[in-house]
Amino acid sequence: MIDRTPVTHRAGVARSGNAAEADPITTEVVRHALNSAANQMKRALVRTAFSPVIYEVLDFAVAIYDPQMRLLAQAPSLPMFMGTLNFCVEEAVKNVGGVDNLFPGDMIMYNWPYGTGSHPQDLAVVNPVYLEDGELIGYTAIKGHWLDIAGKDPYCTDTVDVFQEGTIYPGVKIYKRGELNDDIYRMVLANSRVPKFVAGDLNAQVVGCRVGAASFLDVVKRFGREEYRNAVEAMFDHGEKVVRSYFETIPDGRYVGHGEMDSNGITEDRIPFEVVVEIKGSDVTLDFSNVPETQGGPVNCPVPSTISASRVAISMLAGYGEAPHEGHFRAVEVVTRPGTMFHPLPPAPCFLYGWPALQAIEVIYNAIAKALPKAVPAQSGGCICSVVYWGTRAATGEPWADGSPHPTGQGAWDGGDGGTMLHISESATRFSPVEVWEAKNPWIVDRMALAQDSCGPGQWRGGPGIDFHFRMTEDTFITTAVERTKNEPWGLGGGGGGRPNGAAVRFADGRKVSVPKTTRFLVPKDAVVELSTGGGGGFGDPAARPKEAVEKDLKAGYISQSFARKHYPQAF
Amino acid sequence: MATRIGVDIGGTFTDLVYYDDETGETVEGKVPTVPHAPEEGVVAAVSGHVPRAVIEKAEFFLHGTTVGLNALLERRGAKVGLITTEGFRDVLEIRRGDRAEMYNLFWKQPEPLVARHLRLEVGERVRADGTVFRPLDEASVAPALKALMDERVDTIAICLINAYANPAHELRVEALLREGGFTGGISLSHKISGEYREYERTSTTVIDAFVRARMSNYLKRLDARLRELGFKGTSLITRSGSGSMTFTEAEERPFETIMSGPVAGAQGASEVAKMLGIEALITADVGGTSFDAALILNGEPQVLYEGTIDNMPIQTPWVDVRSIGSGGGSIAHIDVGGLMRVGPRSAGAAPGPACYGKGGTEPAMTDAAAFLGMLGPGRLASGITLDFAKAEAAIAPVAAAIGQEVEATATGILRIAASSMANAMREVSVEQGLDPRRMVLLPFGGAGPLMATLLADELKMTQIVVPPLAGNFSAWGLLGADMVQSAARTRIMDLGEEAVASANALLAALFADIAGRGEHGARETVLSARLDLRYKGQEHWLSVEVPLSGEAIAATAEEIAESFEAEYRRAFGGVMSEAIEIVSVRATLRAPLPRRGQSTRPAAEEGAEEETIPAYSFERKTRLPFRVVPRATIAAPLKGPAIITESTTTLYLDAEWTAATGAHGELVLTRSEA
Repeated sequence: MIDRTPVTHRAGVARSGNAAEADPITTEVVRHALNSAANQMKRALVRTAFSPVIYEVLDFAVAIYDPQMRLLAQAPSLPMFMGTLNFCVEEAVKNVGGVDNLFPGDMIMYNWPYGTGSHPQDLAVVNPVYLEDGELIGYTAIKGHWLDIAGKDPYCTDTVDVFQEGTIYPGVKIYKRGELNDDIYRMVLANSRVPKFVAGDLNAQVVGCRVGAASFLDVVKRFGREEYRNAVEAMFDHGEKVVRSYFETIPDGRYVGHGEMDSNGITEDRIPFEVVVEIKGSDVTLDFSNVPETQGGPVNCPVPSTISASRVAISMLAGYGEAPHEGHFRAVEVVTRPGTMFHPLPPAPCFLYGWPALQAIEVIYNAIAKALPKAVPAQSGGCICSVVYWGTRAATGEPWADGSPHPTGQGAWDGGDGGTMLHISESATRFSPVEVWEAKNPWIVDRMALAQDSCGPGQWRGGPGIDFHFRMTEDTFITTAVERTKNEPWGLGGGGGGRPNGAAVRFADGRKVSVPKTTRFLVPKDAVVELSTGGGGGFGDPAARPKEAVEKDLKAGYISQSFARKHYPQAF
Repeated sequence: MATRIGVDIGGTFTDLVYYDDETGETVEGKVPTVPHAPEEGVVAAVSGHVPRAVIEKAEFFLHGTTVGLNALLERRGAKVGLITTEGFRDVLEIRRGDRAEMYNLFWKQPEPLVARHLRLEVGERVRADGTVFRPLDEASVAPALKALMDERVDTIAICLINAYANPAHELRVEALLREGGFTGGISLSHKISGEYREYERTSTTVIDAFVRARMSNYLKRLDARLRELGFKGTSLITRSGSGSMTFTEAEERPFETIMSGPVAGAQGASEVAKMLGIEALITADVGGTSFDAALILNGEPQVLYEGTIDNMPIQTPWVDVRSIGSGGGSIAHIDVGGLMRVGPRSAGAAPGPACYGKGGTEPAMTDAAAFLGMLGPGRLASGITLDFAKAEAAIAPVAAAIGQEVEATATGILRIAASSMANAMREVSVEQGLDPRRMVLLPFGGAGPLMATLLADELKMTQIVVPPLAGNFSAWGLLGADMVQSAARTRIMDLGEEAVASANALLAALFADIAGRGEHGARETVLSARLDLRYKGQEHWLSVEVPLSGEAIAATAEEIAESFEAEYRRAFGGVMSEAIEIVSVRATLRAPLPRRGQSTRPAAEEGAEEETIPAYSFERKTRLPFRVVPRATIAAPLKGPAIITESTTTLYLDAEWTAATGAHGELVLTRSEA
């Protein structure tokens, strides 16, 4: 019988040194130095990585942990991975037999989704770091997205268990005391459709971890163990204070945010869910215990990503734009219930874990808006609108593949119209220019333009969504993962909703099929993939939008005459 | 050799250095920058510091300026119209989807340089291989032109999709605009950049159109003023990718100068590295508001081919100089969590640090240095007398907030600033797979020599070279800027003999294009070429120099592949077994300036009385007596602790360090073995 009692997750509060002994200057210098060590690690990874997913899409996380698995520093990469690696480190170490079974030169590979929070393609390399006398001083770890790890398809929206999603490495030593474990390495290569890329990216993760370890050790040695430890505690306390000072400004209370998934990938039923944000003084509880049961399709979000989604939401609001560490997470506790969509148990499918996770970030803002509407923006398109393509080139018979997230309109806030960019969970990622796509893929992009009337109306309007038309010049398979096609992005404070996302294939004969979530769908030559990304929600009563702003939007063509007359009659 | 004058405009000061070929002397000067009329500052510097006879015989005037950059940053430029392919009017606004501040929920992309109603479409489409998918709908050009003329745009940028592969439609649209009566400037994307990536190419083209008129007016005014002063030589301006170009050419291709601000320093550093045979050198240019670091490997700065200004990409070669917001003016403050931070806000030129006595009350890094005695007894060469009491008064509130003495707080401000600078240098080095400990530090800029031993100690570096004229080093670097012209074109093709032949055809066209811009006259020129190469399927590429015979590549495809793999291994630590493809072809023409003499050794001052002041030693963590020594008097090696003064900067030499004057007037600082 599975215990379904809700579980509370907290950040590390253990102490390794004495913050009171730390001087404030050394604390600031140590903080800089640890962030720089994480940045050096990231640069080494990006420099040596083979696949664009790493060096262009930045689909990775790079972080340094102390022996208590508390986050010391994380380099800017995919925000969705913020504060997620401690779970990988904990589980990876536990699974190889604990710290007593770890030795200098060991490197562990780990990708069990319920421990990483991700799909199996996101594989973590964990590297224990030792001082010369053999004392374990912490870990460097990198979780990176591998192009392929031998699931049923290169990218899936219809898996029914984790075994269809990819090969599992449940915590295995790829390096033992500095020696490559060749048996494991050959298995890695055998279990990928693109072994060369996987080999290259694994190597980049190893190099990154080593560079990080050297820089990290250098920091500890520069200050000496004791001064370093004291400074780390003072750094954590400081981060905690920063975040708490923000939440003290939000009135105490229990606020409910509502979200809804379009479907679970297998059936078309909508999946409404709620996250409760409870604020008491400067303590914040994010309660996911009342969400739906584990789904039969891959939209389950394992606990580590439920927690990192919470951490992203909080850090973006209360972290003052700084790189996060464990202290920033201390004011936050996350509650989940085993056996639910946000706390799935093995072997529940979770290939699309990221979709509920990224929506949860905005659902948390939806809840906070009920306390302080001006503290957060209205909803964005609410999705990364991913499309993955592959096929065999007609002329050469060579296989090809590509894939990308796409920007949507962003929500307006009190004081600003929304822009158009990728979802906040992928805020540093860039998508490819059309000319780069066309130079390598059998495509012609017919259109990439802001969509008129897609922006939610308001005193401040949402950012417009985008219409993409990709014309295939050869037969192509696609997998699409586009959520929030059934609901408008919400407005706030009286603002209206934006246009929802949509994805369709238009065949040469004019027939059009909607494909928000599809796996291995054949798009024949001359058919067009039409992706219409959502517009951001508006903020504030549209009647309060100044006439000049409406006229400017009309002149620019963001909105049409009829849209303007309907939502902004004051301008006429 | 040739007499030449270099003037570099900074945010606070306009620096001048001239070299007189007759006497072999290099002379420096400094005047305040005139923000609203920068050419007036230049004229003041030249007329105030250069004898008329030298102006008249000078063959070159070399100029570094941020006029174009400022026009862009302050959005003071032309009203630009943009004509693009149907379906793509929003390329500038959609960008690449990323956020400049990744943890900022409220970040929004800046307004594009061209508003949406001025971005118009024409019917046409070229494919990536240059074939025409949809012929130009000529009838669609007239309404676009009319709309732009009704809006009275000053200039029009034409940026069509895949125009890098086939410019026919861009050229035809240009002709139609002229036929339609448009007389303003027209910027064609394939001429401005020639590289693929429509957002980046459009951004570059629009930047060019935006700054062109302003830049051209400035250069014309300045040139006229120089002629009035008696100058008869060639006026040159620095390029972002190093080297210089004539004013006339810069009026045509202003975007090539936009990122040239910190280039002169890096260029000077390469010259020093070559002169002294230094293999790996890292610069530390510390000014009032920013810190710039650049790697110089084997005497060459690192050049990148795409840069960013104010979140706008620009496809032009630029010297890889990394900046962080940390400098002499950086202000120490207390954050919401109660920790002390330093910068990025700066006291700037006005009010400046508190100790300058010009009304500043917040504690800047310079105040901390002054309080600690690191700037000597207080008489700065620029005529300012330091007010130590004001420095202390500014630091005191911050000290109280963190519960420390003023002395400890002041050392803290310097430690925090030094650590962020050192971190930036570590990161630049790691990116190239290098360890800073094995490099030489080259500090310059007003506050570089102040920070030199602190930075070296942070990075465990044991060798520092303080160049001559360290406080005016960027202007000195200008004097060595050869004339350079370059052009590039993207054409993706599998590397093989056929591709080499196509690359040669492209090179011939690019060199012809460059020659058409020319004005290097009878000067001897050196041609060079690079191929951007990558493994098929990869996005990132490496630019590899290829040998030339005349204007053609003198290497087989196999040899090119070998040099690519060697470079790839150096950069990324391994090679792949994938096929290699050419992405772009780059052509460069260099017309070297005549060599100049290197006698920059300052004359020794007679009978200067030596003083000693109690200053803080970071090595010993306490105040020690520091000797105050004018740089020019250092004959025998000088052991620290000492404060070494010169006319435009102050060098802080901590204990454990020894300074010796080298053969070219440089000071070599070495750390004693621990």
